[in-house]
Amino acid sequence: MNRILPILVVLAAILALWYAAVVPMNAGWTIAQAQRAGHELTFLDVVADTMSQDRPRLPAPHQVAAELKKTVLDTKVTSKRSLVFHGWITLQSTLWGFALGTTVGIGMAVSIVYSKTANMSLMPWAIISQTIPIVAIAPMIIVVLATLGVEGRTVPKAIISAYLCFFPVLVSMVKGLRSPGAMQIDLMKTYSANAGQTFWKLRLPASVPYLFTSLKVGIAAALVGTIVGELPTGAIQGLGARILIGDQFGNPLMIWSALIAAACLAGALVSIVAVLQSLALQRMGYAR
Amino acid sequence: MTLVLAALVLWMAAWLLNTRIAGSSLASSYIGRVAVPVVFGLSVLAIWELVVRGLNVPQVILPAPTIIAETFAAETGTLWIDFRQTALKGAISGYVIGCLAAFVVALAIDRSTFLRRGLLPIGNFVAALPIVGTAPILVNWFGFDWQSKAAVVVVMVFFPILVNTVQGLADTAAMQRDLMRTYSASYWQTLLKLRLPAAMPFVFNGLKIATTLALIGAIVAEYFGSPTRGMGFRISTSVGTLELAMVWSEIAVAALAGTLFYGAVTLVERWVTFWHPSQR
Amino acid sequence: MKKRVFAGAVALALGGAPAFALDDLTLQLKWVTQAQFAGYYVALENGYYEEEGLDVTIKPGGPDIAPTQVIAGGGADVTVEWMPAALAAREKGLPLVNIAQPFKSSGMMLTCRKDAGVATTDDFKGKTLGVWFFGNEFPFLSWMSQLGIPTEGGSDGVEVLKQGFNVDPILQGQAACISTMTYNEYWQVIDAGLSADDLVVFKYEDQGVATLEDGLYVLEDKLGDPGEVDKLVRFVRASMKGWKYAEDNPDEAALIVLDYDETGAQTEMHQKRMMGEIAKLTAGSNGALVPADFQRTVDTLLAGGSDPVITADPGDSAWTHAVTDAALN
Repeated sequence: MNRILPILVVLAAILALWYAAVVPMNAGWTIAQAQRAGHELTFLDVVADTMSQDRPRLPAPHQVAAELKKTVLDTKVTSKRSLVFHGWITLQSTLWGFALGTTVGIGMAVSIVYSKTANMSLMPWAIISQTIPIVAIAPMIIVVLATLGVEGRTVPKAIISAYLCFFPVLVSMVKGLRSPGAMQIDLMKTYSANAGQTFWKLRLPASVPYLFTSLKVGIAAALVGTIVGELPTGAIQGLGARILIGDQFGNPLMIWSALIAAACLAGALVSIVAVLQSLALQRMGYAR
Repeated sequence: MTLVLAALVLWMAAWLLNTRIAGSSLASSYIGRVAVPVVFGLSVLAIWELVVRGLNVPQVILPAPTIIAETFAAETGTLWIDFRQTALKGAISGYVIGCLAAFVVALAIDRSTFLRRGLLPIGNFVAALPIVGTAPILVNWFGFDWQSKAAVVVVMVFFPILVNTVQGLADTAAMQRDLMRTYSASYWQTLLKLRLPAAMPFVFNGLKIATTLALIGAIVAEYFGSPTRGMGFRISTSVGTLELAMVWSEIAVAALAGTLFYGAVTLVERWVTFWHPSQR
Repeated sequence: MKKRVFAGAVALALGGAPAFALDDLTLQLKWVTQAQFAGYYVALENGYYEEEGLDVTIKPGGPDIAPTQVIAGGGADVTVEWMPAALAAREKGLPLVNIAQPFKSSGMMLTCRKDAGVATTDDFKGKTLGVWFFGNEFPFLSWMSQLGIPTEGGSDGVEVLKQGFNVDPILQGQAACISTMTYNEYWQVIDAGLSADDLVVFKYEDQGVATLEDGLYVLEDKLGDPGEVDKLVRFVRASMKGWKYAEDNPDEAALIVLDYDETGAQTEMHQKRMMGEIAKLTAGSNGALVPADFQRTVDTLLAGGSDPVITADPGDSAWTHAVTDAALN
């Protein structure tokens, strides 16, 4: 209770602020429309209208909730009009991208820890790679993959999401694999352990706490990558595509509900990784 | 095909050269540390050039680096205008506003346990959200010029810095705080002399994450409406007219600017947190 | 979908077309699935492509997908593109050729608010105008250059905005005028609550700066191969049949489009209305390009001010009647 109460209070405050902001954000349009039509409006009329516009600048929370109910609960999940369906499309690419990004990140980290050449040549470029605007590359990735005969949008989206996801994993894993001290490594040497044994029995287990911390960042980054891949490249399905189409057809409720759905997805994914983290760390005997 | 084979050979030669440098006494010198990534980068560019020419990849799919370099050199004027619009006006102003706001809010939260308990989980949650999705909404609210781009950047950088700063402020040991109390230090003295310096490694971690987010946020926002200049504007319109060399020139500018920005923050970090084990 | 299977079965039963040796063909659209492309979806749904022995895949586009780039990469056989962008790509060394022109008229216009003080083209000076880019800005730039209005801002010129994908700039007063299509964005402005009386529209057709819109383009080398030409002939014939069906049955066509929309975001009302407006643009075209229209497009583009999209008349090699002649006779 001691932990939940503050969160609830803050959430309530955010909701109240949101409602309070709806009136000034949308009132301009209400008043302009009334002037064109030659109506007189009381303050209450204005407030009522700002809460129920078709294309508000800022939709009221209950409007977003109604749209979410309509597209999540009242629509069959197999329907193209269901947000669950689009969330599933986004989730698939995210998970593929996450798997790919994590594998690449761990692989690079291992090679960086074991090869001085890789360390010196790859590390600076890994940082530079993250400064490249991925949105600019996304359409080109799709075209190039189509040239290579890869159809569909799942693979290109997964690559974009892996691009954002591998970096945090790489950085943490390098730290984690290097975390055993000289003393521990010396101890392995006195056991006459070979390189493989040192890796599997010392370095890898030592890096697990670092890995999980970075996986939480990585899965969120993978989701961002998928949505960026869906957003301007005209992906046909997925939450990013809903944001784009909502923008194009002037349907802010669609944008907001897709954003909230993406937020829930992100929250769920990060929580799942967090649960796995505490399970794994408990079993491995890291007292948490 | 010979060009592609040449690319392979070149790749192995460059790697061999790097291994030699890394294994020699140069490795720990400044020259060695710069030379290895440079050789690596140059070999990637050369391979790109050879493969594109060797496989006859159309210029409208992937232009060769030399052609991108030519365009870059010929269009420096346009690139500078775009850079000023997106990076200087949009990204940097958003970055500064976002960082300051997050820092101030973090200090405020830190004074109240209740707020910290309430806001931190929510801040953590929001930091993981795909904030880029708000770009169309913010462009709608703040208009087409750099202000809306700065707004996207503010929202993107705010939460990582908030979360890191709050975490950092909590990073002092009870013993250290007790010591401050025995000196009868006030709240502000404890903050300035102990807790803020101790928080700096965390703050800089957030600041570094935010540098890469800033430029990307400003560029994405331009896809949803902009004046007729800006890096995102140029990238999206140039793709439409198949001026791919221009697109890659802008990407190069973005990478260059992002790297310099990141480097600058790292330098400041080294100067501020010289005492931290990771900097020694 | 059922109809496709059914049509295939009929073809089989009649022993007509070689039903299991369908030729594959991929069509890249210029934009997302909507009634603007109804003809192709109708031809697919009603089995016209199958009757011609074609297995057609329709790929929707999007704001960042350049159809010209997709076709250059071999991701499509035929693409729907606007002529200015296609000719620009041709100058960049991508030999695109127009094989058919289902859209006779241009649907592009500039929609302005009266209360922003715009009544005639003389009033543009000093105003902010929203324009689409991505290759669609060239007709606008030609028009402004013919009016003698610089597009760099200032009191004598106009301030140009790169408009996003929606009509908000005009609703919120960020721009005095925005680009709209007769079949889409104009109606969004109306839907949002502005009435037709609040607005002034300048159709590119009326201003004499219309450029040809949705045409079918292929790479030149395809036209040298008789087998490929035969495929294209069958494709164009079935597509035009689809277009004429869509013109005659707009509501049904709109519903077919809706079935193929994978975003699930399009609405019946929008699509039916769009189809009604699209039918006006395809009316009067049998699919064959009218050379005079082509020349007008080229002239408009060549007049495109200081930075024209094309620098030279591409000549008659940029289009052909070979396919439409065979398809329509």
